[in-house]
Amino acid sequence: MNQVIYNFAVWLDGFEWSTAMHESYYMYNWVESTHVLTLMVSLGVLFLIDLRMLGIAFPNVPSTQIARRLNLPMWIGFGVAITTGLLLFYAIPVRNSQSLWFRVKLVLLVCAGINAYLLHKRMNESGSSWENDAVAPKQIRTSAAVSLGLWTTIVICGRFIAYDWFDCELGQSAFISFVAGCVDGQTQF
Amino acid sequence: MPTSILGPYTRTIIAAALVVVTIVFCLTIRIPVHTSIEPLFDWMTASWFGYIGTTWGAAFAVVEAFHLVGLAFIGGTVVASDGRLLGLILTDQPPRAIIDKTYRIFNWALILTLSTGIFMACGVAGKIYFLKVFWYKMLTLCAGMLFEYGIRRPLLEKELEDINPWVLKLTAVASVMVWFTVAALGRWIGYSG
Repeated sequence: MNQVIYNFAVWLDGFEWSTAMHESYYMYNWVESTHVLTLMVSLGVLFLIDLRMLGIAFPNVPSTQIARRLNLPMWIGFGVAITTGLLLFYAIPVRNSQSLWFRVKLVLLVCAGINAYLLHKRMNESGSSWENDAVAPKQIRTSAAVSLGLWTTIVICGRFIAYDWFDCELGQSAFISFVAGCVDGQTQF
Repeated sequence: MPTSILGPYTRTIIAAALVVVTIVFCLTIRIPVHTSIEPLFDWMTASWFGYIGTTWGAAFAVVEAFHLVGLAFIGGTVVASDGRLLGLILTDQPPRAIIDKTYRIFNWALILTLSTGIFMACGVAGKIYFLKVFWYKMLTLCAGMLFEYGIRRPLLEKELEDINPWVLKLTAVASVMVWFTVAALGRWIGYSG
């Protein structure tokens, strides 16, 4: 599996645009800045929704309305974040695909997606009987707290990608090498 | 009482005057003052925060991440409250219900961002002192805080119906611009030097 991912990353790395973007000071930095700045929209709005469910923010505004009305800016933010995230991966595919933190981040993103699905499912199933309550039912509060924790950890992992603690060329243990996706005899990038 | 002299716009006028003074200060006597505060940056580097920041990369990275979380909260409150003022989101809710409730979250987010920012600044004090973009960020941050606490909040404390809708919209646009500029300049510090 790691070999397949590595081959795919090397294939991406062969594109002229990938190298151009990586080597362009302004282009790469603008894309990365946009990726980070969209946190302020997508994650900021998501945090507000989570805080509403926990009864900390907007207790006098119906919770389902907060969730529905803030969905649009949140998804616009996530759309930009995903697009710029893909571009960042495309610019440095081999290193990113072999970053332990990038892999943990992807797993956590999947977990956050499942948690968001469960949160919406529980909201829809529970109807609107509690929407004017300051605090949401326990199951929804749990999902909101998990969401806050997951996304904070995702931000930490995203930040850690920039550091080279577990880079393959630094000679890692067998376990770290496997989890990070290091391949024997790989070309240095 | 200054209020009786300057009328209901006392805080706005004081805040605007402070912005003008800051700009004049930065454009005129910046260099001698800049040189005189270098020891402060040396002290920051030698402090415990500076020591941890320069020797323990993981601690620095975690604090950086929480700095971003603080920024995300600031962004969320700005999007919700200024988006409501602009009539873009939560339009079925009274603006007062949204704006007032974002104040406390914004305050805590700003405290988180400032405290983590001070830690990070200590870790790279020797570098940022020489970066123009760092000083631009500080200038924008000061302008942002003056705008938020000196202009925006006093304005929004009044009955919103009594305020010209265009003033409300321009205030919202200015708020979005200033905070996203602060964040963008902060990100650019990482690419400089």
